[in-house]
Amino acid sequence: MRNVRKEFGEGAERYLALDGIHLDVSQGEFVCLLGPSGCGKSTLLNILAGFERATTGSVDFEGAPVRGAGRDRVMFFQDAGAALLPWLSVEENVRFALRVRSVPKAEWPAIIDKYLVMVGLEEHRRKFPAQLSGGMRQRLQVARALAVEPKVLLMDEPFGALDALTRRRMHGFLLDIWQRTRTTIVFVTHDIAEAVTLADRICIMSLGPGSRISEVIDVKLPRPRDIADPAAATIFRKVEELLV
Amino acid sequence: MRAAGLFAGSILVAFVVWQFLSTVVFNPFLIPPPLVVFKTMVPMVENGEIFKHVAISLARVAVGFTTGCVAGITLGVILGRIRLVNELLDPIIELLRYLSPTAMIPIAVIWFGIGELSKYFLIFWGTFFIVLINTVAGVMRAPIIRQRASECLGASPLQIFLLVVIPSAAPYIVTGMRIAMASSFMSIIPAEILAADSGIGFLLQQSSVLLQTNRIFVALLTICVLGFVTDRLFRIAVDRMLSRYMSYISLT
Repeated sequence: MRNVRKEFGEGAERYLALDGIHLDVSQGEFVCLLGPSGCGKSTLLNILAGFERATTGSVDFEGAPVRGAGRDRVMFFQDAGAALLPWLSVEENVRFALRVRSVPKAEWPAIIDKYLVMVGLEEHRRKFPAQLSGGMRQRLQVARALAVEPKVLLMDEPFGALDALTRRRMHGFLLDIWQRTRTTIVFVTHDIAEAVTLADRICIMSLGPGSRISEVIDVKLPRPRDIADPAAATIFRKVEELLV
Repeated sequence: MRAAGLFAGSILVAFVVWQFLSTVVFNPFLIPPPLVVFKTMVPMVENGEIFKHVAISLARVAVGFTTGCVAGITLGVILGRIRLVNELLDPIIELLRYLSPTAMIPIAVIWFGIGELSKYFLIFWGTFFIVLINTVAGVMRAPIIRQRASECLGASPLQIFLLVVIPSAAPYIVTGMRIAMASSFMSIIPAEILAADSGIGFLLQQSSVLLQTNRIFVALLTICVLGFVTDRLFRIAVDRMLSRYMSYISLT
């Protein structure tokens, strides 16, 4: 990502959301975008996904410019209830992904089984999203995203709506999946502890207008991490100071 | 079970009150008591007169309603999806929708005569706008997150449209159809009163001219039952075929 700038509106209503964003993410990396609400994290993620275009600057993926939403970059939404297809059962939601991706039909059952087992939903395959808990819906969203074998997972505050306990479990679950699939993850959050627990690298964004990545912090701690651990706590405080 | 009992009880009480009022308080000629109405109804049922009128009215509603739904959904889907078309047509629709089927009767008779075509047109007219407006609303409100999520899974614009947007709009479309169904049963009556030689509305008009109040009440009761039964059948059909698209409304 080179020198990305994003403006909304025209004339007097014009608002400069992002200005001069540089970011390189390497394959298999877990990057957190951390910043206060309204700093343009989600906008940046939408640009990465290809839903929105940068006003100026360029976004390249594997050497080619990003044009529109791509199959190799799957966005993962906080509101799983809205992102899933509520009229389809758990397995049908995964099947939908395989169908639109034109995976040969003969391979469907095996792929569906594999990912439903991976996220622990194989016993709930005939249920509908409305019958699942918030955490289960998120796991279904993970299964559906992984079924199309994306190279990058873009996650927009995915666990923000979950209770603290479920959230912690989802962190463990996500790290486990990430280590197994080696998918690159760009993870947006405003929760410092979440960023320190998960990321290889934390990009701190400043408050807009003209938001930019003000600081990049490498987190070279072994996983699983405990936020109460002295090393993690030191990073936590450092990030906190940079944010305030 | 309890609901059914209450329903039957409520109707029974209404008949008893009606019987009492029309025999003791009011003039039984102006408001014929239910027993007299039933006595009038028996021969009309036996000789098939009432079914003939019902069948004709139903056929008119069926043709007008079906064509109105097809046209309303088709155009509604286009309007909901293509912004320019919507901006061009919306002002016209916003004005035309105030022309109720009843307001269109005089011109429909001149255009299509008093035969079937004018009735088809009037029911079509009423259905079309209701279904159209609901379909547009449904298509426009298909959650953007759901569309984007499908897009990055690899869905083409056509797939998003057919597999995501239209099912998302289904509850709105079905609601529109249900309202249009009720309105069809309301607008077929004035159409038949003013310009027809058959149908329930015609039966009303004919009985009125001949001052046969008991026959008028038979016709009025028939309209109540007909509308009620059709709506229930519609709901059962929707529950059977579309429940998976309808049941989640509370979730999103």
